[in-house]
Amino acid sequence: MSERLRNILTVAVMLALAGVLVVLVATNPTSADRVESIGERIKCPVCQGESIANSPSQMAQDMMALVQERVEDGLSDEAIIDELLFSYSGAVLLDPPAGGSTLILWLAPVGALVVGAGVILWWRSHPGATPTDAGPPEHSRVRRLAPLLILGGAFAVIIVVAGFFLQERAGPASGVANLAGQDLDEVSNETMEAVVAANVDHPQVDGMRLALAERYYESGDFRSAFPHYLAVAESPDATDQQALTALIRLGWMAWEGNREVETAVGLLDQALAIDEDSDTARYLKAQVLWCGAGDTEQAGELLEEVLSDPELADDSRELIQSDLDAIRSGASCT
Amino acid sequence: MLSLLGSAGMVVALIGAGLLVARGIRASRNDHRANLAGAARVLLAGAVTSMAALVLALLTDDFSLVYTANHHSSATPFPFDVATAWGALEGSIVLWGLVLAGYTWFAFRRFRRSPDRLGAAALAVMGAVAIFFFGLMVTVANPFEVCVEALEAGCSRSSPWPFAAVDAPVNGPGPNPLLQNHFMMAVHPPVLYLGYVGMTVPFAYAIGALALGVAGPEWLRRSHRSTLVAWSFLTLGILLGGWWAYEVLSWGGYWAWDPVENASLMPWLVATAFLHSGIVQQRRGMLQAWNFILVISTFSLTILGTFLTRSGTINSVHSFTQSAIGPALLGFLVLTLAGSFVLFSTRADLVASSPRLESFVSREGAFLVNNLLLSVYAFIVLIGTTYPLVLEAFTGTQVGVGEPFFNRLAVPLSFLLLLVMGFGPVTPWRASAPGVVWRRVRNPAVVGLAAGVLTALLVSRNGWVASSITLGVFVLGTLVGLLIEQVGRRTAKTGETAAEATRKVVTGDGAFWAGQLSHAGVVLIAIGIAFAANLGTHAQVEMQPGESTVFEGYTITYESPFQQTLPGKTIVGARLSVTRGDQFVGLVEPSWNFFGAQSAVGTPDVLHRPDGDLYFTLDDLPEDAGDVVGFSFDTSPLIWVLWLGGLVTVVGGFLAMRARRSERRPAGERPTVDV
Repeated sequence: MSERLRNILTVAVMLALAGVLVVLVATNPTSADRVESIGERIKCPVCQGESIANSPSQMAQDMMALVQERVEDGLSDEAIIDELLFSYSGAVLLDPPAGGSTLILWLAPVGALVVGAGVILWWRSHPGATPTDAGPPEHSRVRRLAPLLILGGAFAVIIVVAGFFLQERAGPASGVANLAGQDLDEVSNETMEAVVAANVDHPQVDGMRLALAERYYESGDFRSAFPHYLAVAESPDATDQQALTALIRLGWMAWEGNREVETAVGLLDQALAIDEDSDTARYLKAQVLWCGAGDTEQAGELLEEVLSDPELADDSRELIQSDLDAIRSGASCT
Repeated sequence: MLSLLGSAGMVVALIGAGLLVARGIRASRNDHRANLAGAARVLLAGAVTSMAALVLALLTDDFSLVYTANHHSSATPFPFDVATAWGALEGSIVLWGLVLAGYTWFAFRRFRRSPDRLGAAALAVMGAVAIFFFGLMVTVANPFEVCVEALEAGCSRSSPWPFAAVDAPVNGPGPNPLLQNHFMMAVHPPVLYLGYVGMTVPFAYAIGALALGVAGPEWLRRSHRSTLVAWSFLTLGILLGGWWAYEVLSWGGYWAWDPVENASLMPWLVATAFLHSGIVQQRRGMLQAWNFILVISTFSLTILGTFLTRSGTINSVHSFTQSAIGPALLGFLVLTLAGSFVLFSTRADLVASSPRLESFVSREGAFLVNNLLLSVYAFIVLIGTTYPLVLEAFTGTQVGVGEPFFNRLAVPLSFLLLLVMGFGPVTPWRASAPGVVWRRVRNPAVVGLAAGVLTALLVSRNGWVASSITLGVFVLGTLVGLLIEQVGRRTAKTGETAAEATRKVVTGDGAFWAGQLSHAGVVLIAIGIAFAANLGTHAQVEMQPGESTVFEGYTITYESPFQQTLPGKTIVGARLSVTRGDQFVGLVEPSWNFFGAQSAVGTPDVLHRPDGDLYFTLDDLPEDAGDVVGFSFDTSPLIWVLWLGGLVTVVGGFLAMRARRSERRPAGERPTVDV
């Protein structure tokens, strides 16, 4: 057999084997364990760099159980991860998305490979002067180092510029997870709106909705605050505390903004149904009854109940006492 | 008393290090009166004394030392009481100092046999590094402080003054439970330190050569050989660490891209790159500047690793300033990097000339690709490990960089390295006709692909598993083919028997074939990892005593809970019997180990089988005899191949070291920097 024929045959056998191998691997029917693969992406909050799938700690096992439950409920990977990141402080994504603050992390290795290959190619065409034709040492040193410096500098500039531009484009953040661990104070209203809008059905979005609504409320923008409070109040996923806050705010806005006494009292009663000892709800209800309905009797009772709370702050006590005195003296609401 | 002895030891060592620097510099200037022997002896004696004092304090339960009071307990049995000497920060610095003094002693003995300027300069550099570490010990990480205000178990206030009025507690809390759960904890750190600290020696020769202005082949020969020593120990240390994690930590894994692990991997990768590129300089005179960079980087990465693991920075960026040791190590790192590279750039003219790379299809071309891949690999580990810290320090934003990130980048890179490993050793030096390489790789490639297809058909169609077998068989095939080719040529020429010719071929180029043995080890590691990581199965079950469950064809029966009290620890566990069909396979006892009042440590039990391990973990504590208890069962297919491969790699490293030592210098060639 001639050498040429043998080579052709060898290549043919190689290609055939490689083809079979690729087909076999590509049609591998095994399904990756979703619970495991999600768990491997979350850092266990109480460990050193271990994922919750790998950590034997109790917290990690609890978190894995939650993942299992959510997977069985049919939630998406992203939704499960977002919930974990929100519910467990210290849990962070071990598999950072290429974007925003982690873009450099993903770009740098690629950049290093490119620059390294570039250096090798450059070095090959400039293999260094032989001692005989070397210029003065100073000169050759500069000549030798300059391209290295230029390459290194270019690498740094590319990384920084690319990171800068892509970071701008990546925002506003599109997932709740992107904001986990961040101080919400530093997030603009627009970003929060975008996140909330992108995660309407997300069980963990109520916290952010409430924070956003509170901002609007405090700036007097009731119109913007209203839909968010309403969504929280009606959300099945909201905690009692979140629903309570939302209902109290809605009740007060109904009175303060629209003078709707019945709506306001109804909302505050809903709040009291969640927590019958809420001083804020009782106080505001008293105000609405007194100022809106002239019902001094019930308003007085409510204020007395508030005053009976031993944990009431002193300045609040003073204010409420003066209101109560005014009601008792039959004065109209101020 | 022991505080005084230990303090005296570290101060003496510090003085010895100072003397070594001063006299080393004088000797490197051809001053024959400089006596390095005294300085080296003082350094070694001081280092040994301080370690001896610390070990003695632990063995005699001397709780007047803060270190013993806070990290030891009289109930801690041997060998864990001795291992406690390096189980906490201050003690680990003592071990570092001792190992460094030991390496300095070996470097000195070499110098004594054939004194030259390079050896003297290198000793001065090692002295300077020793000044830093013993200085650290005397100032911010003093293990010999005495306790002046005792707690019930431990110490709340200390004094560095050995004569201060001692208020010693009657007992201490004992070492971290994780560290006293397996004897490997007594072995792993010293071996790892032999690797870590050993990287100081090649660094010292490199800096010495730069400082003297002699960049000839001599520094490289010595740096290369000492790197082989340190690299072999580092490989063994990493291997033992992985094995310890697997046998002791109940998660069934051996590597988690944890920052502490990464800290040891980074210098390993760069040292591996140097082991290869150093050969290029020895054979072809190329890559001189690059070799300096690699040696300096390796040493710097060991310091960075120490900083990352010993300053508490990893737990939280904010704990960095809680101890002065973090800033001290970081300062030393910056000083090392800045000093080395300034020195290097002022000597750039020395390393200027190099012959041209004639073709990429050449051994040196393959080494270049290997170096590029290993450097990028190290860079990935570096940026993945430090990025979260840097980002949090500067912006307060928390990101996690863990297994998924590393696996996504490092796994393909590892396979690429395996591929290059198949081509490199069979590619001749200088420009080679592509036909030569092709003839050597074509058959192994066919066999490798066929093995891959068979694996996919018979074992698993997982892509990583099949690729690892394909590439592994390919690499091994090229090595076997090369050996057959050389042996065949020799028998044809000399008429020796095949066995005789094989022996002559292998011993004739001992360093090369030792290197190939390491390559074979790396192939086994890759196959072991691919199988264990991709084909392992996991199950969680709850059982009452007497109940059985079937897992992967094994019937596992929960026989009974048990409790056992040993000196220093109480074991609460469950006894399980494992059968396969009618055949009894084994009895296992996964347990929880209690060390005094400290938290319990889950301890797995492993059945080692030829097709892989069965790994048993006890998830709950059986309190009453009839309790339902949760268990985790895992399989780790072929994991023993990983451990075997690691050992083979290490053996290859040590054999290469021996082969290089016995290589005689070419006749007529003398060290360029002899006195």
